[in-house]
Amino acid sequence: MTVLLNAGYEGAWPAGLDPATNTNGAANQSLMNSIYGQLFELGEGGKVIPDLATGLKLEDGGKTVKITLRPGVKFTDGTAFDADAVAFNIKRDLKSSCTCRPTWPVKSVTTEGTDTVVLNFSAPYGAISNSFFDSNANWIASPTALKQLGERKFRVTPVGAGPFKVVSNKLSSELALERNPTYWKQGRPYLDKLTFKSIGGDEAAYQAMLAGQADAYEDMSTPQLVQQARKSGKFTVTQQLSTSPYNIQLNTDRPPFNDKKARDAIYYATDSEAIRSHIFNNLYPTTQSFTGPGGLFHQAEVDGYKTYDLEKAKALVKELGGLTVDLGTINVLVAKNTIQALQSQWAQAGIKTTIHSYDLAPLIQAFQGKKWQAMLQTAGSFDPAAGVGVAFRFSSMSPFSGVHDKKLDGMLGQAAGELDQTKRGQQYADIAKYMSDQSYSPFLFAFAPANVAKKGVTGPGLTSALPAVVVSPMVLWEEVSTSGGKS
Amino acid sequence: MTGNRLATAIPVLWGVSFLTFLVINRLPGDAAQQLLGINATPQQIEELRGKLNLDEPFLTRYFDWLGHALTGDLGRSFASDQSVTSILSERLPVTFELLAYALIVSLLFTVPVALLAARRPNGIVDRITMATSMAGLSVANYVLALVLVYVFAVKLEWLPAIGYVNPADGIWPFIKSLTLPAVSIGFPLFCFYTRLLRADILEQMQGEDYVVTAKAKGVGPWRVLARHALPNSMFGLLTVVGLNIGTLIGVTVIIESIFSLPGIGGALLEAINNRDILVVQGIVLVLAVIVVLSNLVTDLLYAVLDPRIRYGRAAA
Repeated sequence: MTVLLNAGYEGAWPAGLDPATNTNGAANQSLMNSIYGQLFELGEGGKVIPDLATGLKLEDGGKTVKITLRPGVKFTDGTAFDADAVAFNIKRDLKSSCTCRPTWPVKSVTTEGTDTVVLNFSAPYGAISNSFFDSNANWIASPTALKQLGERKFRVTPVGAGPFKVVSNKLSSELALERNPTYWKQGRPYLDKLTFKSIGGDEAAYQAMLAGQADAYEDMSTPQLVQQARKSGKFTVTQQLSTSPYNIQLNTDRPPFNDKKARDAIYYATDSEAIRSHIFNNLYPTTQSFTGPGGLFHQAEVDGYKTYDLEKAKALVKELGGLTVDLGTINVLVAKNTIQALQSQWAQAGIKTTIHSYDLAPLIQAFQGKKWQAMLQTAGSFDPAAGVGVAFRFSSMSPFSGVHDKKLDGMLGQAAGELDQTKRGQQYADIAKYMSDQSYSPFLFAFAPANVAKKGVTGPGLTSALPAVVVSPMVLWEEVSTSGGKS
Repeated sequence: MTGNRLATAIPVLWGVSFLTFLVINRLPGDAAQQLLGINATPQQIEELRGKLNLDEPFLTRYFDWLGHALTGDLGRSFASDQSVTSILSERLPVTFELLAYALIVSLLFTVPVALLAARRPNGIVDRITMATSMAGLSVANYVLALVLVYVFAVKLEWLPAIGYVNPADGIWPFIKSLTLPAVSIGFPLFCFYTRLLRADILEQMQGEDYVVTAKAKGVGPWRVLARHALPNSMFGLLTVVGLNIGTLIGVTVIIESIFSLPGIGGALLEAINNRDILVVQGIVLVLAVIVVLSNLVTDLLYAVLDPRIRYGRAAA
């Protein structure tokens, strides 16, 4: 089976596929999961499925985390997948320079016997069971193979205990895998061979699919092509469940958005419903807070949220004596289309807007320069406390935040540490309400790409929707099959 | 002559390497920032900068690279830690085969079509040729590539839409795998070369004494065209082909990405995006060598085509 990946994101693995050194790991989920499997998988409805782990237990008020491992599992080099191997990997991941390294408050990592890994925390961390998918700790490499091959070679020919093993790997171009005959789950994977190919964009990928040269394409984001693929009758098109909605970050440290009236004007001048329906063909659901419908504690609507009201926006702009805004975003199609729409919507309210789209490096520089005014970005993750969650965009400590509010920092910290999920839900609802009341950031729509698969191909995450991790869901490749059951 | 030309290439190659190093270093962001991405903290970025020696002064890093390059060691990729020479040996052949295929096909068609068009200026063949070449020059390579895929891969199913087959795995599948990408690059070249060659042939046919003499001697029109006017019209074409080699690498970046080919263009673009300086340096240096050599070959071909250049050398 051949799967196409967009060269601009998931189809780029320039640093290789070692969990500790692949700095693009979050984008390369499919490749990493196929080779390493996962300790925990994120399944349908946000259900956490133990995979290479069998369970996770919190002790000592959440300060001790015990992870039990599946017994008898072997890496594809024949060595044992045991507690020592997992502890070795987690310690290595914690020290790695990848931003996908775990953000747990870890004091030490130890083992108990051959099947239990113990994480000792300095403080309780309520998101622990939901945070494996967001980090490289979910992927366990064979320590023996790493030692024998050396880091340099291991990056290209990695060894894990996942459903597939590496046949050949041309970085950022083609990864050829074959079935792991010793995979722990009986009868899995269904596929004998799985090849990932990098391709330059949605249009080229769609043409290749039409020509019958690929069986699936992950993360199509051009709305017109998604519609076309649906109408063609040749493919199964699955719109994934977003966890990270687009939002307009407002820099509250400097004019004009240090004035709440200016922030209110932006809320009232923004017609997210029009953008959602006219530009993106209603593909992406609306949201008024920091998680999408695929994430935990999602709220499509927040009480008191300021929705589109052109007259109120005009009145506020008049009261302010005019409003001029510099709005930036990252250089991707959906984001660029959205800021163009915002520019014209805000013009109707009398707001003069200059728009910029940045490549990654200049975008980072713009944030670090702290002179930016407004940025269209995505905010959130499956669990708001994990990965690139709400704190990334709204905590005082984050260099990518436009908000420096001690009260909000406290609320975010409390929700991240809470172990009772019902209480956490209420705390995040309070946070969403507080952010809305303070007009910190209008939320627009919960973007998620679509997966396109040839008829007859089925699999969780590929032909059935799963919650997204970062941007895309983790396809469970061991469960993917073609019409004959194998390929 | 060849020795002198090669000697003058040395400062050119040094200049290319220095300017490339300078430009990549002046781009916003560095490898550490690019590799770690937007979520990285300043501490993480500093940590990686130290590991990659990016905190060393610019000139120290450049001369360190140059010293190693002179011994054949082009360094290792910041991103993958692969040696630059291994990246080049893996990727360069694909791009070389693609460009060679595109150039050969375009030139093979250019000469007869230009002769046919020049045979009767403003005749039906000439008009069709000029209209086709104008259309070809007006279409961007990536649009042409997608149209070709739609027609020949999706509708007719004659050729593959994506992928590369190594020649060791079969010559015919190899040729098939590169045909659409080569045509995507080669067709606009053919259009440009045809217009150029046709104009040069017409100039020769209309204004040169030797053509009049040949005609007066009763030499047939095709023979005048092919044996007399064509060799003297090839200088412009040769010059342009020689100069084109360098610029074509820009086209391969897009074409390789559309056709999922593991070539050097994609590797170069990714290395630039990652500010992977040593990979960019290595690729640019090798491309510069290829451009210098292709221009040298062009100059040698001038001597083959023009007897006066040989007489000049003999006299000297």
